[in-house]
Amino acid sequence: MKSLERLTLAHLWTAFIAFAVACVFGLWQMLARSPIPTPGFTPSNYFISVTAHGAAMAYVLTTFFIMGFGYFTAETALQRPLPGKRIAWAAFGVGLLGVVMAVVPVLLGRASVLYTFYPPLTGSAWFYIGLVLVVASSWVWCAIMIVAMRQWKRANPGRPVPLAMYATVANAILWLWTTVGVTVELVFQVIPAALGLVDTVDVGLSRTLFSWTLHAIVYFWLFPAYIAFYTMAPEAAGGRLYSDTMGRLSFILFVLYSLPVGMHHLFMDPEHSTGFKFVQMTLTVLVTVPTLLTIFTISASMEFAGRLRGGKGLFGWIGALPWERPMVLATGLAFFMLWFGGGGGLINMSYGMNAMVHNTSWVTAHFHLIFGGTVVIMYFAIAYAIWPQLTGREAPSLRAQRIQLWLWAIGMMVMTLPWHYLGLQGQWRRVAQFDYANPIIAAWGSWVVVSVAGGAMLLASALLFIWNLAAFHRARTPVQAPFRFALAIHPPERVPASLNGFGLWNALVAVLMLVAYGYPIAQFFIHDRPVAVVHRVDGAQP
Amino acid sequence: MSEDVFREIDRPWRLWASAIVVGVLAFGCLSGFVILPVIQGYQAGIDPYTAICRSLGILPGSPAARQPVSTAPAAPVSQVSWGPSLIARLNKPDAARGQEIAASVCAACHGEKGLTADPAQFPNMAGQSAFAIYKQLHDYKSGARANEIMQPVVADLTDEQMADVAAHFAALQQARWEQTWVRAASPQVETIVRTGDSARGLPACESCHNPRSGGPIETPVLFAQTKEYLALQMQAFKSGSRKNDLYRRMRSISEKLTDSEIDQLAQYYFEQR
Repeated sequence: MKSLERLTLAHLWTAFIAFAVACVFGLWQMLARSPIPTPGFTPSNYFISVTAHGAAMAYVLTTFFIMGFGYFTAETALQRPLPGKRIAWAAFGVGLLGVVMAVVPVLLGRASVLYTFYPPLTGSAWFYIGLVLVVASSWVWCAIMIVAMRQWKRANPGRPVPLAMYATVANAILWLWTTVGVTVELVFQVIPAALGLVDTVDVGLSRTLFSWTLHAIVYFWLFPAYIAFYTMAPEAAGGRLYSDTMGRLSFILFVLYSLPVGMHHLFMDPEHSTGFKFVQMTLTVLVTVPTLLTIFTISASMEFAGRLRGGKGLFGWIGALPWERPMVLATGLAFFMLWFGGGGGLINMSYGMNAMVHNTSWVTAHFHLIFGGTVVIMYFAIAYAIWPQLTGREAPSLRAQRIQLWLWAIGMMVMTLPWHYLGLQGQWRRVAQFDYANPIIAAWGSWVVVSVAGGAMLLASALLFIWNLAAFHRARTPVQAPFRFALAIHPPERVPASLNGFGLWNALVAVLMLVAYGYPIAQFFIHDRPVAVVHRVDGAQP
Repeated sequence: MSEDVFREIDRPWRLWASAIVVGVLAFGCLSGFVILPVIQGYQAGIDPYTAICRSLGILPGSPAARQPVSTAPAAPVSQVSWGPSLIARLNKPDAARGQEIAASVCAACHGEKGLTADPAQFPNMAGQSAFAIYKQLHDYKSGARANEIMQPVVADLTDEQMADVAAHFAALQQARWEQTWVRAASPQVETIVRTGDSARGLPACESCHNPRSGGPIETPVLFAQTKEYLALQMQAFKSGSRKNDLYRRMRSISEKLTDSEIDQLAQYYFEQR
């Protein structure tokens, strides 16, 4: 096995093992919240589980998957050896060490603060320091991605950077901007509190800093899905990408409008004024633009492929698509879930309507559908697409892959639709148990049980996914054709400099961030601010 | 074509992209900081200048109508206010003074080392949470908790002295809380301790009395007390003769417990050492 393949596999296996374990926690949590008696249930076990599930899914699965996929893309799309492989391995080691440091205190019940921390709750310092190490290792990845693109551009002056790599670097730049907020929060507020160096935390400031990260991090997770839509799905469908420029524009818009919008997570918070919340809501609306551009472009690419395969009429091309190929199937299922998840997102980001769903199960259901559904199903598809290249072997069964994808999509819909409904009924989130004997909420019980059934399908799908990946390693058939990214119908000879680099967009992000977050953060240093007493949950004396 | 020509071709691209991004931002700012606050402020009887300052966060409030303010007098069940300075004092007490007060004032009943000679009547203090001890001392002094013996004893202590003596007892035999899995006499009690009984609105004891649960700061450590003392306190909460628990937490819990459950819970925590 070659060195790139080893590096990529190490990252992706770490991601997917964390994912499978977190799915087990997830199903147990669904059970715990349901009227069904749950083995091992106590409220404190529930919050241990929620913290482990959230941290594993949000930080381990995503970060390691994106790093591994990025290394793979850099070498495959640029057709040059990846620079700094040794540094990449060192960063992997640091990240893995961080994961262990974070997981142990969580499982010991010393850091039940959820993956979003919620200061002044303060758990074991090891948890936070471990997560900072994971972030630090991802910064190394960002640097390697940027260097790889620079080297390629120097060697190929004037030529457009391949779209897959341009998107990967866009994600690296997005991530560098994104992690500033949470890192400042952890290093200057939460970790000093966890180490006992300070007795108080300014919760308004910490929530603001986390909101800086909180929306953009979701786009960091989402990038690989969109990279697959643009550069893998058209090829898998037997066609070509409809427009390379649309892809570049979409990725740039994600960089621009995922950052100055995080305050839509704070609509109900008292520490910010209505004006800034309104401005950030306005900017949030623009996030729909790259998604709609993508739906249009990918649908057009698929139509192109369908017609090439003999599809006729207004919708005949849809039936003509090769749905038996996992990448095509996953793209279709991801788009289906995107309609529901995206629609729910529009409600969340509306200042007025947010009040209806704030802190209810609706929000939990929303992010499971959009991330767990649309995004993670594309992670599966990417894994199925690149595993032959990584292992040098073909999959023994595409059927098992299709079953796994269907199971995931159906399970996700069955789990999240009742969950959304319960949120509208007022079911609160972040609680361990409900009193279903109470007539006011008794009717929720049956819907929660339906959600549990969806959760069980998801766990089955996750385990089948691991089985399918392992099957590659045991397979005998050598790989038929080398992996390649999709080409555009009209591959660009040259693109405007601003669509081939990030200088202009970095400057614009800086302007947007200054306006959207400048005063909201500065106010904490201008005015006297109330502080909260550190509240330890790791068993140490306060 | 040369680089200069390309740069010339790309220029409008850059300009238009910047203009659109800044234009949308300006639209958002104009709507959020000027148009909407002024219109809504007008409807709520707020002048435009104030409305704009409020929307920026320079003046407090939002342009909506004023909210009614309650005039009902506050009747707190405790006067303790957990502020940074108090917590700092409890964490860094004057140890010598704490010991001196403990020896001269407390030792007669609670024992020199915080272990009482009559544990059915007086609680053991060694290893108790400093925050729990301070809260009770302060409540005796303010009258929030009534007790013939304790109220005269604490009457002359200052807040700092109470903090020092509380920290002294807490440090005596550093309580290292370990979860021991002693089985309760009945599964019913085990359930109340670990998961609560949601059908009766009973939270788990462990939701607060486990130091890792994130319960209120003043939550006492329950082990190292006698069965009689623990039962006595739960009965006092149940009857309402003790009422210095914030938000009626312990009263509303104890009211729902049967006498037999109270005895079994007391026995259970007595065994947790």
